[in-house]
Amino acid sequence: MNNNVPILEVHGLSVAFNSEEVLKDISFSVSEGDVLAIIGPNGAGKTVLFRALMGLIPFDGEIKWRDSAQIGYVPQKLFEKAELPLTVKEFFILKSKKLFFKDKQFIKSIDHELKSVGLKPEILNQQLANLSRGQFQRVLIAWAILGHPNVLLFDEPTAGIDFVGEGNIYNLLHKLQDERGMTVLIISHDLNIVYRYADKVLCLNKEGLCFGEPKKALTTEQIERLYGESAFYHHHVH
Amino acid sequence: MGKALFITTMFIEFLQNQQLLLILISGIFTALAASFLGAFIVVKRMALVGDVLSHVALPGIGLALLINIDPIFGAAAFLLVAAFGTWFIEKKTALPPDAIIGTFFTATLALGVLLVPNQELFESMFGNIFAVRFSDAMVIVVVSVIIFILTLILSRRLTLSIAAPDLAKSIGAKPDNSYLVFLLLFALSVALGIKLIGSVLMGALTILPAVSARNLSWSLKSFLSFSVILGVLMTGLGIVIASAFNFPPGPTVILSGIVFFVISLFFKKHG
Repeated sequence: MNNNVPILEVHGLSVAFNSEEVLKDISFSVSEGDVLAIIGPNGAGKTVLFRALMGLIPFDGEIKWRDSAQIGYVPQKLFEKAELPLTVKEFFILKSKKLFFKDKQFIKSIDHELKSVGLKPEILNQQLANLSRGQFQRVLIAWAILGHPNVLLFDEPTAGIDFVGEGNIYNLLHKLQDERGMTVLIISHDLNIVYRYADKVLCLNKEGLCFGEPKKALTTEQIERLYGESAFYHHHVH
Repeated sequence: MGKALFITTMFIEFLQNQQLLLILISGIFTALAASFLGAFIVVKRMALVGDVLSHVALPGIGLALLINIDPIFGAAAFLLVAAFGTWFIEKKTALPPDAIIGTFFTATLALGVLLVPNQELFESMFGNIFAVRFSDAMVIVVVSVIIFILTLILSRRLTLSIAAPDLAKSIGAKPDNSYLVFLLLFALSVALGIKLIGSVLMGALTILPAVSARNLSWSLKSFLSFSVILGVLMTGLGIVIASAFNFPPGPTVILSGIVFFVISLFFKKHG
């Protein structure tokens, strides 16, 4: 693995909506195979950063992905659940490049990805709206890694995920990183996770406040600056 | 059941009558396209936009009558422009589209009422069963089949764009483009239904089968299938009743659709 050339380099990234600056002059880089945690209070522009990284919104500054980078995206949530009747299988098939016909190879790889996120094939016939939050999160991850991208952008839900046995989402992400050499960018709300799993951390509150290895970059003062003093205890003691 | 027997007798009489057969075929194909598109209109929560958009047909009809061309072309032209306008407004402004489109397009309804002569006005708004000629039926069948196939090809991308626009973009799909094609197809389908169902009620023909189907369905496939099947059933039934009692077809079709909707409520699953 070539760890010296970053798979992603960001220089002076700024995003504004209707002349209101949401992100201001952000710079960081990510090495291949690393886990970068992005933390910050609500409204800090974390999801906006992801959307800019995927080229979904206009921005100023420079975002340089390595040519080989293929992104899988795990959003925080989808649509209003009850509105659209979709089975899990149908949801996966929406990613197929074939617009109408069946793609047998594609359907096989769905089974493979389900297994790697710890779901049973029976879940395919369930309705998306009836899944538990934990199952739903795993389905979203399986959807994102279908087709083997080498970068995963993971927008963690604000509320905690209910884990039932078989390890948590972070062990799963870690496994993907180990087995597939995936680079993982994760928006996290849990500082314990950041210390335990991340190689680098980016603190964000419209501007980049810190960047580096969690133990060095994430000092107590830094966390207070980021969340405010009272929020610090809330976030730290979990 | 006496009612079933009555309808069967009507149906046999019906098949012997070529004019009515023509109307039935036109109706069924109109419903095929409209109710398929309607499924997406309902899950995208743009029922109001769809309904109001269809009013734009009226000034188009008025203008077509003034310059003496087939009203269906005037309606189609106005609808396509309005569909593009809707897309453009949604794309370019942060304002809620319902508000803008609701105001603007209702104004075109007012304009249409002033432009279209009385007799044609009623027919344009509520349909006329005898207005459909052989050539009209041919156009309806061909264009409906084209709309149906294009919607089928579009349906995966459209569904993903509705469910999660960011996911759609993340795999390189263009939600904006599929939405524009979708709106244009919808405009065409409204234009097709004007002679038979009428512009005011085309919105309802589009939405009713889909909301009923939503109550019955457990997956995307079942939802889309039920929507099309119910659309065809309610239109077929409505036309048979309309021709038996000499009612205008539009209202009869919509009322038969309401019956299906009420029945579907009993099957509603929560989820």
